[in-house]
Amino acid sequence: MARTVMVAIIAVPILAIVLTFALWESPYATSQFVTQNQPVPFSHEHHVGRLGLDCRYCHTGVEQAAFAGLPPTHTCMTCHSQIWTTAAMLEPVRQSLAQNQPIRWVRVNRVPDYVYFDHSIHVAKGVGCTTCHGPIGRMPLTYRGEPLTMGWCLSCHRHPGSFVRPRDQVFNPDWQVPEDQDRAGAALVRQYMIDTSGLTDCSRCHR
Amino acid sequence: MNRTPAELHTNRRRALQLLSSSLAIALTRCGEPREEIVPYVEMPERLVPGIPVRYATALPMAGYGRGVLGITIDGRPIKLEGNPRDEFGGGGTDIFAESAVLSLYDPDRSRIPIKDGIVASWEQFSGEWANGPGAGTANGGAGMALVTGRITSPTMLAGITALKMRYPELRQYRYEAAHDDAPRLGAQRAFGRNLDVIPHLGQADVIVVLDADPLGPGPNFLHNANEFSLRRNSQQPQRIHVAESGLTLMGAMADRRIAVRPQRIAQIARALASGFGVNTGAPGLSPSETAFVQTAAADLKQAGRGLILAGETQSGSVHALAHFLNSQLHAPVDLLNPADPEEQNHAASFSAFLRDVESGQIRSLIILDANPVYDSADSRQLAKAIAAIPFSVHCGCYANETADACRWHLPLSHPLESWGDLKSPGGATLLMQPLIRTLYDTRSSAELLNLLTMAAPMGARDLVRANWMPSGGSDFEQWWRQSLTAGVVPNSAPAPVSATAAMPSFETVQDPPQGVTLSLVPSPSVWDGRYANNAWLQECPAPFTKEVWGNAVQLSPEDAARIGVGFGDAIILRRGYSEIEAVAAVLKGQPQGAARAFLGQGRWRAGDIGNGIGVRMTALCPTGLERQIDGISIRAGGKTGLIHTTQYHTKLEGRDEDIFPLAASAQIASRLAQLKPDTGGIVPPLPADPYAWAMVIDNNLCIGCNACVIACQAENNVAVVGPDEVDLGRDMHWLRVDVYELDEADGLRRGFQPVPCMHCETAPCEPVCPVAASVHDHEGLNVQVYNRCIGTRFCESNCPYKVRRFNFFGYSRGQEYGNLGQPPVRAQHNPNVSVRGRGVMEKCTYCVQRISAARKNAEKEDRLIRDGEVKPACAVACPTHAIQFGNRNDANSAVAQLQHDPRHFSLLAHLDTRPRTTYLAKVWNPPAGQTG
Repeated sequence: MARTVMVAIIAVPILAIVLTFALWESPYATSQFVTQNQPVPFSHEHHVGRLGLDCRYCHTGVEQAAFAGLPPTHTCMTCHSQIWTTAAMLEPVRQSLAQNQPIRWVRVNRVPDYVYFDHSIHVAKGVGCTTCHGPIGRMPLTYRGEPLTMGWCLSCHRHPGSFVRPRDQVFNPDWQVPEDQDRAGAALVRQYMIDTSGLTDCSRCHR
Repeated sequence: MNRTPAELHTNRRRALQLLSSSLAIALTRCGEPREEIVPYVEMPERLVPGIPVRYATALPMAGYGRGVLGITIDGRPIKLEGNPRDEFGGGGTDIFAESAVLSLYDPDRSRIPIKDGIVASWEQFSGEWANGPGAGTANGGAGMALVTGRITSPTMLAGITALKMRYPELRQYRYEAAHDDAPRLGAQRAFGRNLDVIPHLGQADVIVVLDADPLGPGPNFLHNANEFSLRRNSQQPQRIHVAESGLTLMGAMADRRIAVRPQRIAQIARALASGFGVNTGAPGLSPSETAFVQTAAADLKQAGRGLILAGETQSGSVHALAHFLNSQLHAPVDLLNPADPEEQNHAASFSAFLRDVESGQIRSLIILDANPVYDSADSRQLAKAIAAIPFSVHCGCYANETADACRWHLPLSHPLESWGDLKSPGGATLLMQPLIRTLYDTRSSAELLNLLTMAAPMGARDLVRANWMPSGGSDFEQWWRQSLTAGVVPNSAPAPVSATAAMPSFETVQDPPQGVTLSLVPSPSVWDGRYANNAWLQECPAPFTKEVWGNAVQLSPEDAARIGVGFGDAIILRRGYSEIEAVAAVLKGQPQGAARAFLGQGRWRAGDIGNGIGVRMTALCPTGLERQIDGISIRAGGKTGLIHTTQYHTKLEGRDEDIFPLAASAQIASRLAQLKPDTGGIVPPLPADPYAWAMVIDNNLCIGCNACVIACQAENNVAVVGPDEVDLGRDMHWLRVDVYELDEADGLRRGFQPVPCMHCETAPCEPVCPVAASVHDHEGLNVQVYNRCIGTRFCESNCPYKVRRFNFFGYSRGQEYGNLGQPPVRAQHNPNVSVRGRGVMEKCTYCVQRISAARKNAEKEDRLIRDGEVKPACAVACPTHAIQFGNRNDANSAVAQLQHDPRHFSLLAHLDTRPRTTYLAKVWNPPAGQTG
């Protein structure tokens, strides 16, 4: 009995700490892989993976602003005023246009308010969409593809060479890390003039 | 369920229960709050969410316009900057322009028409107007009166003309509480008509200032400050002689200054004139006055171009004499036909209004954006008289003291949400365009006049366009778009007129009467009281006293000793039967027998922020518009006066002479050499990076106007703490302007030194932080990581420059002062800067969000940031361009060049903190034959 208690006294706190950290990093805490109930079950798999729409067709701000932007109802209706005009699934979109009320999407990818993330600079420096958003072209319902924690951000800010890709591949949802990424990535980092020394400064992301 | 206290007592079991249940609650949701993204239904063209857009517009200042650029993010105006295309102002701003964006979101603004204290509607008002006074066209609108402030807007003037066409008997009264009657009288005497006199400080080699403050607040401030700085930046020396009856910003810039009672200024002006062959009689001067006049006259005679400026508290004859001397000296002044076309002087107009109200001649009264009840000496009497008028309507942004007395109150739109036009004091026309749709059910002044005229309803934009249609030429749309984009109507600045100043006649100067002479000057923070409900302005330290939230009476040490009071003690001022209780601020350099106080406080219907702050000084006046009151008796007593001042919060350790080095221009290099530490420190220098951000502040250009302080507050979401917290030393300004007074051989000299974070390379705040919340980045910024900060305040105690500020309470989140926590105010916050919570240390970041934005722009183009691409809010605002910012590692940058200036020094250099913010010392230009 006394022995069990002794083991418990040592093991329980250690297990608790291990469990806490595991939980902390787990999808349970980071919301990774969690889909949300959206007003319209929009499928990136269909629009991007199969139809091949460019990301920038809807996310128009991605090359200029911090926020990539969500499409106004009018963008949806460029196609859906012609096709699937009676689909029940698209009723909220038609209602939005008819009543001039925006569609209220539930946010999937989110960083805290004190993080000043900017899409435009990442895209300009060869960080592709799928690097942070996961296999978006294979998502029937959108979920968070990566944990979006600070440690995860830093993995790239410390070693951007492992992740950057050629500029013409940034919006390619099917891009795969090539075998010679170590060499190609280093060359791209030089080409993009990425100064790695300041990339982990606090002031880079927090103000 | 009722429990006995014994049951509530926490035992071990209960504590464990609580512990485990709170852990369980915490574990049930570790994730984030649910958030929504709400896109547009139809996106406005060319809009990119999150990208700031700049619009040119104009802001009124006492009826005159000044050009500003409004920065809006996602349709919210968040910051204002000067419009460089408004050539009269030169592109800087002042505190009034910077703070206008807070007034836009003021929760106290009127939102809806009010009749007899009850919510009404615009339709109801137009109905009552049409059936009531407005129907009186048969008698030509007899008994109808319109009270306005100064109006320069062409569209509004056209509206008033239309109103007068409809009601020919309408009487218009125009007055400004902080008026320019003395300069107007002077021009009338010298030139025989009203002329605006615009001085060019930059072109004068010698300036003699007679109780004027060209660098003080006012419509001409930006112009004067800009010209002043251009001259100081050039290599041509300039000399400034100041004789004044109180402390002014110009006096602090003087090369030679004497303080005299206001009545002596007329004598000095005459003595000066007699040196130029004008027989003025021989006025008796004291030895110091004689010496002043002799040096000034000698300087004026030697100089290429001299300039004499008389102050607004002086009489018209002093101004007339100054005009005459200026024409003799070929002084650099422009004479312009007045932008304000009203012939009558302000005081005359105001007295006529008071008389007509009292006599009951006015049957229907329209008050357009004026506050006569507050401005009048006997407010109660005037309020009673207005209340007796059958139909009275007050139109303004706030339901103020006058609105209280009127039957109707109609809400006006804020200038940032109105269409309109304004003239700058230089005469150029500026266009106003709204940065945001009206927040409430308000109308602009032009729309209101249109409504009173009962013309076809027209929007303000159409009214302005209709007024300009004849000027636009053949392609009006093209002309309109160009003017609107620039904010300035092209070629609208009038050419100066020529006029010869006649030799003025002289009144016999009377001896100063018994008692103290009180000069009333517009407040450097709330002007004449119209900005009293702006919390940024109320908490903006006054230049010399560093007083906030109040208006103390400035007394000379001699007078204070005679009365038996010290700095911050309560006093009672009395003139005849009027008596007011105030607070004394004892200041060296204030002449004996003269006191000075600021207008604009002591309001009772300003709003949640401005009510009951300070004292209404005009209660001592005969009517309310007098600017100099003789025969005041002052005694100690009254309520225990607590002066709110930031003066001693941030005193630096050391001798003032070393912290603020000051010398004659020839001696400054040797003076600074004495301050250089003998040996370098032992800490190795930082590794090289492409960028090393640095700031150089020129003390010689800093005029202490506080524009940078308010600009920083607007840009960086700096909180207001309120008077009680200020008394505890907890003001939050990231940038402060220190004032120094040094006893030099030829008298007291003052100077200003703005102090932001020094971003020391060997920052003393960093090693003492137990959680590494205060760290350096690679570009030399000393950054504060709010999320790490646990509030030990070790960094604050270890900072020798006292630039760190601690959130003792949730000043900007949860525990805001007054009504600043209400939703409309939050819309002002800059989305690119964190709003700091309770328990967090904060300080100047060199506007890291602007550096970041510039870096992204540069990196997208695969290049380095160019010099001048990053400008912190303070540097943009500074009307004298005293603050330069840039990359020190770029040898061609402005800051790198300035660091080779012989006047360059580091604050507290002996501590080896290696600050990135450095200074250029203040110098003066000693009169001939004097070494300084």
